[in-house]
Amino acid sequence: MLCLRELQRWKPVLCRYGNTGVRSFAVAADEAGRTEGGLVNMENPYREPQKGCVLCDVTVDFKNIQLLSQFISPHTGRIYGRHITRLCGRKQKEVSKAIKKAQSMGFMSVTHKHPQFMKDPNICGIKHLD
Amino acid sequence: MPRYELALILKQMQRPETAAALRRTVETLMERGALVRDLENLGERQLPYRMTKHNQRHSRGTYFLVDFYAAPSMLAGVLDHLHRDVDVVRPTLLKKDAQVPNSNCCGPQK
Repeated sequence: MLCLRELQRWKPVLCRYGNTGVRSFAVAADEAGRTEGGLVNMENPYREPQKGCVLCDVTVDFKNIQLLSQFISPHTGRIYGRHITRLCGRKQKEVSKAIKKAQSMGFMSVTHKHPQFMKDPNICGIKHLD
Repeated sequence: MPRYELALILKQMQRPETAAALRRTVETLMERGALVRDLENLGERQLPYRMTKHNQRHSRGTYFLVDFYAAPSMLAGVLDHLHRDVDVVRPTLLKKDAQVPNSNCCGPQK
């Protein structure tokens, strides 16, 4: 308890110099966008085109259980997380909701993956020790 | 009127009985003022898990999809009727939303 109070007293002293890590990079530029030293204001020429996720132009439906089964574990039937499927936020949510909907409506199994879909290509970045 | 979708699972029956059950369902819908737009047969297949309904254990069933326009006030009555029907294993009513345009999805802009 006492050391907490001491730390609170010390805090303003330690931060007296403010946030020294941040520096401003404002450089004086003229009308044509050129600066001293010949720099031109332009967007990054080495910028790569934005890559989309696997389901970018694909509509996700609860009836399409073959597609949905690609995002569940073949052993337990659990839905893979975002770090495994590598889908964007919107598509991950859609897939997750569609799987739960299909399971509750009696279209898709909960505890396992349909044996018919076991040979499907592996989209998710997970390797099973089979 | 808003658009709804009925995912119907009928129990494993002979063809004339399945047809009669479907006819009954669609007539119920139309009596209550729905406008049936489409009826799809998704085939007879093994259910993903065994379902118990009306004191019977079902492992196979026929899947149907009924698209219709209806007033929201009649949906509760329709669902109640379907739950009481002995031939229906699992009725599920869903609202059909307008397709969200995929143009603002992540990925290369065309």
